[in-house]
Amino acid sequence: MKQFRNKTEGLFNFQDLKSPGVRIAYACMFIFLLLLSAICLFPIIWVFLSAFKTPEEMYKIPPDILPKAFDLDRVKTLMGRVNFVKYFTNTLIVIVGCWAFDIVFNGLAGYVLSRIKPKGSALLETVIFWSMLLPGISMAPLYMTFIDMPIIHINLRGSYLPLWLMAGCNAFNILLFRNFFNGIPMDYIDAARIDGCSNLNVFFKIIMPLSKPILVVVSIFSIIGSWSNFMWPYLILGSTPKEPISVLLYQITNGAGLKLMDNEVMMVTMLAIIPPLLIYALLSRHITGGLNMSGLKG
Amino acid sequence: MAKASLKNKKNINIKSFIKKNISGWTLILPTVLMFVLIVWRPIVIAFGYSFFKLKGFEPVEFVGTKNFVDVLTDTNFLKTLWNTVQYVFWSLIIGFPLPFIVAVMINEMIKTKGFFKVVTYLPVIIPGIANYLIWKFIYADGAGGLLNMFRYFIGIAPMDWLSNTQLAIPLIIIAMTWQGFGATVVIFLASLQGVDQSLYEAARLDGAGVFMRIKTVMLPHMYGILALSIIRQIIGVFQVTEQPLVMTGGGPNGATLSIGLTNYLYAFKYGQFDKSMALGVVTFLLLIGLTFVYFRMDKKIND
Repeated sequence: MKQFRNKTEGLFNFQDLKSPGVRIAYACMFIFLLLLSAICLFPIIWVFLSAFKTPEEMYKIPPDILPKAFDLDRVKTLMGRVNFVKYFTNTLIVIVGCWAFDIVFNGLAGYVLSRIKPKGSALLETVIFWSMLLPGISMAPLYMTFIDMPIIHINLRGSYLPLWLMAGCNAFNILLFRNFFNGIPMDYIDAARIDGCSNLNVFFKIIMPLSKPILVVVSIFSIIGSWSNFMWPYLILGSTPKEPISVLLYQITNGAGLKLMDNEVMMVTMLAIIPPLLIYALLSRHITGGLNMSGLKG
Repeated sequence: MAKASLKNKKNINIKSFIKKNISGWTLILPTVLMFVLIVWRPIVIAFGYSFFKLKGFEPVEFVGTKNFVDVLTDTNFLKTLWNTVQYVFWSLIIGFPLPFIVAVMINEMIKTKGFFKVVTYLPVIIPGIANYLIWKFIYADGAGGLLNMFRYFIGIAPMDWLSNTQLAIPLIIIAMTWQGFGATVVIFLASLQGVDQSLYEAARLDGAGVFMRIKTVMLPHMYGILALSIIRQIIGVFQVTEQPLVMTGGGPNGATLSIGLTNYLYAFKYGQFDKSMALGVVTFLLLIGLTFVYFRMDKKIND
């Protein structure tokens, strides 16, 4: 109760909380949020529990909440059967490539727009941010581009490059980088230039080391984003040896891949959920910070 | 002496001009090329090729508006358009108010603010495809589905969920909302933290009740971000593709077929890239108006 007496922020403060009506409303809000949290957590927990059930346990009526045993050997066997390590490696290659393209090319663009500003860059900036707001137009023309690259006429289906290229032109991240770099004092950059640093060197030796907060944020969004990316990996890498985990998940439910029992599907789902959960557990506090940085506050 | 230094200065100016412009444009060139290749060129291609008959990926014959006529008079077009409108409608009913209400509530919590923030964001980081799979299991018909298990617990017979034509779209929207609302909550919370506390205090001293405070202090502050998220949501949900593809495949009997999914099927199931682009152009034109509104509001808010 003590903290109620100190509540000065928000819609109602400690004085409102003296009235019983407001107190009941406050309690209702709390209960509502608890229920909502349960709804958020429940499907995730359910996946973890079902993953360890046998098919009979899964369809038992009335159902048991806990599986009889948490048999880690079954995880191992299934990972072998679906060749999980291969899919995991593929996903890692997608993620690392996308991450590198994202940081380097969007970072460089943000740097040029914020700190070099060559003639005509203001127009480019407007065009880039406009394209962020454009609705998508059919996936067909981009798919055709990848199948038959203009000028060089190479078929990029079955290559990771299209996914990396797509990560390298993210208008939202350019905006994030530009806003952050705007805050770096010009003096640092001028000093380095007088010492004979080229613009590229300034970027890697001065700007990047000063930009850890924004790098962390963009990295989190990039990694979690590529981990869950499905549509384009499916179109570009589907039915090739380079399929990532998201495509594996679609294949096993679509009947196109291995025939798996429902509990095994749950286990693959669990394996696909664990890595982003771990990243989030380690880095969650940066995500809110990142949104504040993006100027989305309104 | 003076002349030499002037010359020197001029040299430096030329040098810095080169450094600024040539090296600046060189550094941004790769990114610009990727934008051309991936964002801008496909839009131009879609507009251009939608007037041609394609053989494979090559335009072979100018057919005028034939592709558009074909796409718009397809027996399923009106149905998919109506379905898409339903997706948007349900997303506004289910998916729009929830993050706002939740953000307002979380903002009032004292010690548990951080906990609720983390938990509501958790579904956001679950890979989309895993999310649709999980919900497919939750909605499964028969006794194995989670919802049907609940029905069993409270003693009623299991029922059909996703194979019910009336329920399928709202159910897909619920799954999408579960996954996405946490991201919006974080944005709204950031905005709520920007409300001037002294205004609440002043309103309170003037005898304004809680609802009056919401109306006179909170809503005016949030108006911009709320309008922006509505428009973004309409634009986003109107293009819904992946969710029906994975959860229902467009069924039952076409009841969840959206314009986005139709577009996908034209290209990647039937190989009719010309029709896919024509439909893409139609959608693009329908939504670009909203984008203009969005852009104007965004500018107003950022200024």
